[in-house]
Amino acid sequence: MQDLDYFFNPKSVAVIGASKHPHKIGHVILWNFLRSYKGRIYPINPSVDEIMGLKTYKTILDVPGKVDLAVIAIPAKFVPPVLEECGKKGVKSVIIVSGGFSEIGRSDLEGEVKRIGKKYKMRIIGPNCIGVFDAFSQVDTLFMPRYRLERPRNGRISFVSQSGAVGSAILDWAAAKGFGFSKFISYGNAVDVDEVDLLRYLEKDKTTRVIGMYIEGTRRGRELYETLRRITKKKPVIAIKGGRTESGSRAASSHTGALAGSAKVWEAMLKQSGVIVAGDIRQMFNYARVLAEQPLPKGRRVGVITNGGGFGVIASDAIEKHGLELANLEKKTIAKIRKHVPEYAVVKNPVDLVGDADAQRYEVALDALMDDPNVDIILVLILFQTAGVQSEIIDVVANKSDLKKKPIIAFSAGGEFTTLHMRMLEKVGVPVFDSLEEAADAIEKMYLYSLYVGNAE
Amino acid sequence: MGYLEDLALLEKYGIKTARSLRVKSNKDWDKVIEELGFPFVAKIEAKEPIHKTELGGVRVVENEMDLEDFLRNVEKIKNKVRISGVIVQEMLNGVEVFIGGKRDPQFGPVVLFGLGGIFVEIMEDVSIRLAPLSKKDAEQMIKEIKGYPILAGARGRKPVKMSDLVSALIGVSRLMMEHEEIKEIDINPLFANEKYVKAADVRVIR
Repeated sequence: MQDLDYFFNPKSVAVIGASKHPHKIGHVILWNFLRSYKGRIYPINPSVDEIMGLKTYKTILDVPGKVDLAVIAIPAKFVPPVLEECGKKGVKSVIIVSGGFSEIGRSDLEGEVKRIGKKYKMRIIGPNCIGVFDAFSQVDTLFMPRYRLERPRNGRISFVSQSGAVGSAILDWAAAKGFGFSKFISYGNAVDVDEVDLLRYLEKDKTTRVIGMYIEGTRRGRELYETLRRITKKKPVIAIKGGRTESGSRAASSHTGALAGSAKVWEAMLKQSGVIVAGDIRQMFNYARVLAEQPLPKGRRVGVITNGGGFGVIASDAIEKHGLELANLEKKTIAKIRKHVPEYAVVKNPVDLVGDADAQRYEVALDALMDDPNVDIILVLILFQTAGVQSEIIDVVANKSDLKKKPIIAFSAGGEFTTLHMRMLEKVGVPVFDSLEEAADAIEKMYLYSLYVGNAE
Repeated sequence: MGYLEDLALLEKYGIKTARSLRVKSNKDWDKVIEELGFPFVAKIEAKEPIHKTELGGVRVVENEMDLEDFLRNVEKIKNKVRISGVIVQEMLNGVEVFIGGKRDPQFGPVVLFGLGGIFVEIMEDVSIRLAPLSKKDAEQMIKEIKGYPILAGARGRKPVKMSDLVSALIGVSRLMMEHEEIKEIDINPLFANEKYVKAADVRVIR
């Protein structure tokens, strides 16, 4: 068991500052735990006996059983004494969501928190953060109600965020799009647990296949670099770096000084450690979901299947632009597909299944490209506007994707009917894009990562 | 520490430098001319960082007349700034590149690389890596800059000696790792051609 494991898989949780008032943070947090978390829950509040049908304790010291995780949601000035009680109780890990510490100049209070944590060897996330969401254990300290902030399905992407706001928007967005998550951590002021600790935890976490991070700064630059460099050899890390403007904090005394400002050095560090840099949240997910859901390609030759000729052309352009290649299909592959398409269909790459294509025709083409040794990656374009394409195509694509033989990436674009089917594809683990440019960009990053880990040539 | 000593430090780390001599008095010139032969480069040496070129303190000396002209100018410069002497160097040719080293407050020693002149000043076409550099890091740094085709032999030029460029980058990386007292180093320019990569000028900030 890793030492941070009590944050993600606690057997019991105390919510300090639990409240009956629906607009209070302590209320929302308790409600979130009550809804899906399977362990024991202890609300702590000195002035009430019962909240949401749960027996409520005056202090954590009154709780009869062991407490693995305490979530603290009370005003900053009350935090140190309560933390002291957590220490006496033998709590292993504490998440302090409360703000009002060093971020508003109260470094004294933060120092107290640090001291007490050290004294009792408790691990602390926060303060000034939204804490942890674990899609598997359903630990959920996010104080945004679920009707406002949807929680994503479980999956293989974990995300570490220095900013709570960026982090919560990411979760909500991921949920709406059908992207899967494993763990989410917002670590705020990082009085104890920081990004380096969390990365090291996720490095070994079995349910995390891809790590995303939002970072603005670090207190452990060199360790962060070494850690990232080691992790990226095992799992892809995708980072969004906040604060790209040059701080210019040091007077530049030479060329070299002026050229290597902090943003540029960050960029260099991320590149050198094998991290994939994303410009924004959307791009981060584009890279994360292809890497989380699909096997790495052995090369850069893309086979394209479409039911609309024009999109095949756009796909070809995007593929070329991103340093990928259109695969040269084998004669055998062409012959296999030929038998199942109308005479006027052009069978080459892109494979145009023409407007009346149905799920069966897609299946034939997918099988043929799967077997073709000249194809490393399959990009399948499905336009749901045509009558031939029925919902069963989701199963067809999902079944091929489940074989994990070659990466399959989908593209579709359209209105409500299409959007519904795109979500279905995403939920069965087929990354789907509504822009061919973005699809090709994600495939390129996937190929480059495969090269980096020595999986492709 | 003086200029020649800084150049010697580079040599210690496997970075080749232009052959350089310090001219202590005007009596030495005959010996210099005999040893280096025309043309050579003459430049002023100063303890404080100054813009040698802008002051007219760097000159390609092709003959006796150039030399006299240079020395007259040195007298004028002496009225404006304190200079500690004159250095002469063998004449180099090739593509001008620069290599720098500095200490980042968050990440420690870093190495920079780029083409000299406007490429670095205006285009900011620079690649950066954290020290220590692997051979692969150094190779990527060279290939990463937009001006790389110029080094790789664009327009029928011969490609520069990449192996020397790589070892110069690794040398600066090692130097930054081993000399913690050095805050910044600026080797600008180095001349790179198909036969050699040699540093012509260096500034070390301690």
